[in-house]
Amino acid sequence: MLVLVLGDLHIPHRCSSLPAKFKKLLVPGRIQHILCTGNLCTKESYDYLKTLASDVHVVRGDFDDNLNYPEQKVVTVGQFRIGLSHGHQVVPWGDPESLALIQRQLDVDILISGHTHRFEAYEHENKFYINPGSATGAYNALDIQITPSFVLMDIQNTTVVTYVYQLVGDEVKVERIEYKKN
Amino acid sequence: MSFFGFGQSAEVDIYLDGQETRKKVEVKGEDNKKELLYLYYDGETISGKVNVSLKKAGSKLEHQGIKIEFIGQIELFYDRGNHHEFISLVRELARPGEMIAHTSYPFDFLNVEKPFEVYTGANVRLRYFLKVTIIRRLADIVKELDIAVHTLSSYPEMNNSIKMEVGIEDCLHIEFEYNKSKYHLKDVIVGKIYFLLVRIKIKHMEIAIIKRETTGMGPNMFTENETIAKYEIMDGAPVKGESIPIRVFLAGYDLTPTMRDINKKFSVRYFLNLVLMDTEDRRYFKQQEITLWRKGEKVRKQMHGGNSGNVGNSMSQAQQQNEQNYDPNESNNVRSQESEHLQEDVFRDGKVTSRSIDNFQGQDPNIKVMTQSSVSENDVEHIPQTKIENMEREAGDGQNDSSNEPEK
Amino acid sequence: MPSTQQISPVEEQEKLLDEALGVVKVQAFQMKRCLDKMKLMDALKHASAMLTELRTSLLSPKSYYELYMAITDELRHMELYLLDEFQKGRKVTDLYELVQYAGNIVPRLYLLITVGIVYIKSNPQLKRDILKDLVEMCRGVQHPLRGLFLRNYLLQCTRNVLPDVPEEESNLAEGNVRDSIDFVLMNFAEMNKLWVRMQHQGHSRERQHREKEREELRILVGTNLVRLSQLESVNLEKYQKIVLPGILEQVVSCKDSIAQEYLMECIIQVFPDEFHLQTLNPFLKSCAELEPGVKVKNIVISLMERLATFSQRCEGAPPNNIGDSDYPPGIPSNVQLFEIFSDQVASIIANRQDLPSEDMISLQVALVNLAHKCYPKRVDYVDKVMLNSVEVFQRLGLEKVESNSSVGKELQKLLKLPVDNYNNLLTLLKLKHYPALLQHLDFYGRKYLSIYILSNALEHETVIPTQEQVEQALTLLTTVISDQSDQPKIEVDLEELAEEQSLLARLVHQFMSDIPDQQYLILTSARKALATGGALRVKHTLPPLIFQAYQLAYKYKEIKSEDEVWEKKCQKIFQFCHATITALVKAELAELPLRLFLQGALAIDQIGFDNHETVAYEFLSQAFSLYEDEISDSKAQLAAITLIVGTLEQISCFSEENSEPLRTQCALAASKLLKKPDQCRGVATCSHLFWSGKSLATNKEEVHDGKKVVDCLKKGLRIAKQCMDIGVQVQLFVELLNHYIYFYEKGNDQITVQVLNQVIAKIKEELPNLESSDEAEQITKHFNNTLEHLKLSINSSESVSYEGLEF
Repeated sequence: MLVLVLGDLHIPHRCSSLPAKFKKLLVPGRIQHILCTGNLCTKESYDYLKTLASDVHVVRGDFDDNLNYPEQKVVTVGQFRIGLSHGHQVVPWGDPESLALIQRQLDVDILISGHTHRFEAYEHENKFYINPGSATGAYNALDIQITPSFVLMDIQNTTVVTYVYQLVGDEVKVERIEYKKN
Repeated sequence: MSFFGFGQSAEVDIYLDGQETRKKVEVKGEDNKKELLYLYYDGETISGKVNVSLKKAGSKLEHQGIKIEFIGQIELFYDRGNHHEFISLVRELARPGEMIAHTSYPFDFLNVEKPFEVYTGANVRLRYFLKVTIIRRLADIVKELDIAVHTLSSYPEMNNSIKMEVGIEDCLHIEFEYNKSKYHLKDVIVGKIYFLLVRIKIKHMEIAIIKRETTGMGPNMFTENETIAKYEIMDGAPVKGESIPIRVFLAGYDLTPTMRDINKKFSVRYFLNLVLMDTEDRRYFKQQEITLWRKGEKVRKQMHGGNSGNVGNSMSQAQQQNEQNYDPNESNNVRSQESEHLQEDVFRDGKVTSRSIDNFQGQDPNIKVMTQSSVSENDVEHIPQTKIENMEREAGDGQNDSSNEPEK
Repeated sequence: MPSTQQISPVEEQEKLLDEALGVVKVQAFQMKRCLDKMKLMDALKHASAMLTELRTSLLSPKSYYELYMAITDELRHMELYLLDEFQKGRKVTDLYELVQYAGNIVPRLYLLITVGIVYIKSNPQLKRDILKDLVEMCRGVQHPLRGLFLRNYLLQCTRNVLPDVPEEESNLAEGNVRDSIDFVLMNFAEMNKLWVRMQHQGHSRERQHREKEREELRILVGTNLVRLSQLESVNLEKYQKIVLPGILEQVVSCKDSIAQEYLMECIIQVFPDEFHLQTLNPFLKSCAELEPGVKVKNIVISLMERLATFSQRCEGAPPNNIGDSDYPPGIPSNVQLFEIFSDQVASIIANRQDLPSEDMISLQVALVNLAHKCYPKRVDYVDKVMLNSVEVFQRLGLEKVESNSSVGKELQKLLKLPVDNYNNLLTLLKLKHYPALLQHLDFYGRKYLSIYILSNALEHETVIPTQEQVEQALTLLTTVISDQSDQPKIEVDLEELAEEQSLLARLVHQFMSDIPDQQYLILTSARKALATGGALRVKHTLPPLIFQAYQLAYKYKEIKSEDEVWEKKCQKIFQFCHATITALVKAELAELPLRLFLQGALAIDQIGFDNHETVAYEFLSQAFSLYEDEISDSKAQLAAITLIVGTLEQISCFSEENSEPLRTQCALAASKLLKKPDQCRGVATCSHLFWSGKSLATNKEEVHDGKKVVDCLKKGLRIAKQCMDIGVQVQLFVELLNHYIYFYEKGNDQITVQVLNQVIAKIKEELPNLESSDEAEQITKHFNNTLEHLKLSINSSESVSYEGLEF
């Protein structure tokens, strides 16, 4: 089961478009679910995601005007409960302990958040945390060096294999991180 | 007399010298049956033998003399009793006496004049024959032998093309041209029709060769027209500016030389009739006399001796159409004269090419010059010299067009 | 019962054709029998009888064609027989003359041609004369249909015997290529005349029918040109001097539009491109002389396309001029392809009064295509076309063309071409006359084009690096940028507007210079243009500018060693941003400018230029003002205060005198939120300001004001208790418990195990009272997870001591 995780596109506020290399990778038909951490900003971006997979879940980012997007969301994929939140509501931003609060509240196996525009994937108290970064490498006032990135999760039974795609220079680099649920 | 079953009878046979090699030609007889006759030319000696063989051996034939005559005569069919002999030569073969056995009598008519050509027409016949007569008291024994005579002509000194503008006011103006006015019997008529104005819907155009035989004089004059050939030269309707080629081979048709006022008894003349037919079956035509003449065979053969036979002949004729008045058989001298003549016309008539249609209708002196100068002198009498010729027009009732139906 | 049966025209045709074919069959059979018996004369008679069927006027072209095919097929037997006889040396005397005695011209000429070919084949010496004779004699058939087929027969028969040797190598009698050219040209001229004549026959109401029939027959005429093109000895010189002038003379003089259109196209298709290249002027001049009805446009365009394709095909072949890449491949250097077409097109437009204006533009389209394919580097060529097109409109007096008119469509095509060809907005900007031409389109057309250009620039990620180019680009896009005077006064479709404005907004990111000063100029120019868009547009277009400006400020910081006045420049940039955001406020927006102010404050804090604290304070206070004055929706308020708190938590540049009021203000604002749960969560969030918040007073370290943190949380507890809904109350308690634990673990000594125990006890006390529901279950899970966390913490040696914790 392939789940695409991405967010903070900030098109058109901060970026013109997704990197062409990413667009090439993201072909319709292979991905079952999309979990988006928000800041799609426009309907076009959402429509674009819809072309990749019909099951798209989005939470509201700080620059999303769409009030229909929830602040938080829990999605069950296979045996995993996955929590989704943009993360700007979590103060301090990106703080693991603060995020753990959300994880406990949502009672999820995996918590996905964004906002920092920096890819992260780690285990904390047996739970898995993913921040897919910004798919467009959008500007962030707190971090000048932004690497465009997104995450693809391959969920099989109790295992999640996470592939992170990062555009470094002109090359797409892929890393693999595995997480097993107890 | 054999008629009564008694008395001696004899067979007369005329043998002509060299008859084994003499050329024979078909000549139409009185009953329109064609027979092959020995061919002689004017001035040629006619010589041979008259063989008289007796039918009853041992019995003698008594006679008042034997003679052979060479006769050229004109028979007018309406006047059967009167044969007009224009030649009558007699040779005494034997004095009155008795004949006991077969006897041969040589004869000759030295360099005998044969001024006319044999001819059998609708109302008249011109023939030459040898007549042997064994004169007897009761019934002569007569034997006749027809011979054919062809009159050969030399090349006409003047042989202009026939060129003329004709038309019907505001309907049709054409200019036609036949390369010559005089054609020998194996000749080819080459020409073209140039359409200056076409406001009628033409269906097709043909050329007919018409033979006009005139006999008699004054009140007794008979004229007989016969269409010898009908030859379609155009299919469909041309438009202004179109030029249609004409090429008619004469050799294939039953033609004689033109004969004018033969012994004041008859004439045979030929006309080219250009006929246009429109979609409502109206016929427009213009007749133009041509002179036909007979050319010596031998000469002809010599002319083409070096060429690739008859193929070359027809081809060289084909070439003529672009080079009017040019006959490869004619001497260069004649040809250059002709072209000078033409140039002169153009020079005199500076406006020839720039005439407009309107000018045709009036008494345009230029056209007069044109018409006049391009028609041979012989034809002058038939052509009004004032303006453009009118074509004849026949109202079409469909009846007189049966001859123009497609050949099936 | 009717005595006569009515039959349809189709049946009638079939019947007539069947009858004719029946005759052909019989006569052909007889002919072949006679040939077998060596009775040539009789065979000829039967052949003639068979050919007589072709004299019919009753058949349609289609039926006549079938008949013709059947008959000519049979004539082949005759030809083969004669050829055989001739080869055996059995020549038939005077055959060529003999066949000419046929009284009717149509059968006569078919026979003449058949025999003529036999003569030629058996004696090449006759070739020249016979060919001349045949083509001349065929003039006798002036009936269009019969004439066309007769001459087609001539053309077919002579196919393999046309002399094809150069003049200098020739034998007079056998002829040379010149004779062949004359032959075919004459046949062509005559056939064309016949074909044209068909148009003028019959009733005018049958015109359509006639034109259809002509259409069916055109290939017969065109075959002449094919034949000419097949003559190998027709070299360029011959083509230039004899063949083409001959054809064109006939084409022009026939004054028939159907013929002209077809034949010109034919010329283009049958002769090689190498020839066309050297004869462009005469060909195109003739185009100008064609009849009013002729679609000259199609002809010229067809030629241009062919040559362009030719040039592209030649690519890879060695260039004609080594080292000179200006010459397109395959095009000789002496041929100024573009100039010739350009001039001739101009003269066609000038001289052909009847030319529809859309055709004039179509021609320009073709010129652009030609220029693009053959001279991709010559932008000036394309610009020339733009200028010419502008002049066309001026001459026509067409100020604006409707985009859905045919001219409008062509014009749009013309304008789109350079966009598609270059895929580079910068190159497009080099076309000086492009904007003027664009002006001739109506509003919808211009708008369509603007969006087209815009999308293209985005797709190809064209970076626009100078202020001047940005200004030019924005001029092209003006219909998207602001309301136009000729814009229809109808209600705006907001979704559509959002879509197009978002395109424009994306483009802003491609206004990008490597030189910061230039970039600043770009941004000011862009703002000047974009600000004219009005409230509905600026909310889409200004934010990207602001983010660009923030990034520019970072850039100055990056190069501060190189630029002495970088701080001043940064100030200026933030002034620019401030003004830009204010413009959004004026557009009656609140949340968006609030966020942008906050983003600005973050950037200012990070960059830290001279006087930045004041500026940052200004930005934050602006955000606050917006929060207080403009945001009334409670949900939006919570979201806004949360964002302000999150932002303020990150900022470290404030002195105590600035930071203290800001933090307090936040806590105050949070406690003033409308809904109790919101208040509770708001103050809980604010608590972080007093722990991890930084300021100059703490030397940019976290303040760790434990007491204030606890105050916030206590306040939270108080508010929670005020909640009437027990479920919400417990939920908030659990959340607050988590905050307590958070700070406890961070080492806030104001929080004791006793406090935690109290909260846990409170929750435990209330939890069983909850009615069982999904919500209750969630709360229980949340609580259990929290306890689970505590257990884990207790067990892990490094964490803080949880001694005395009761759970």
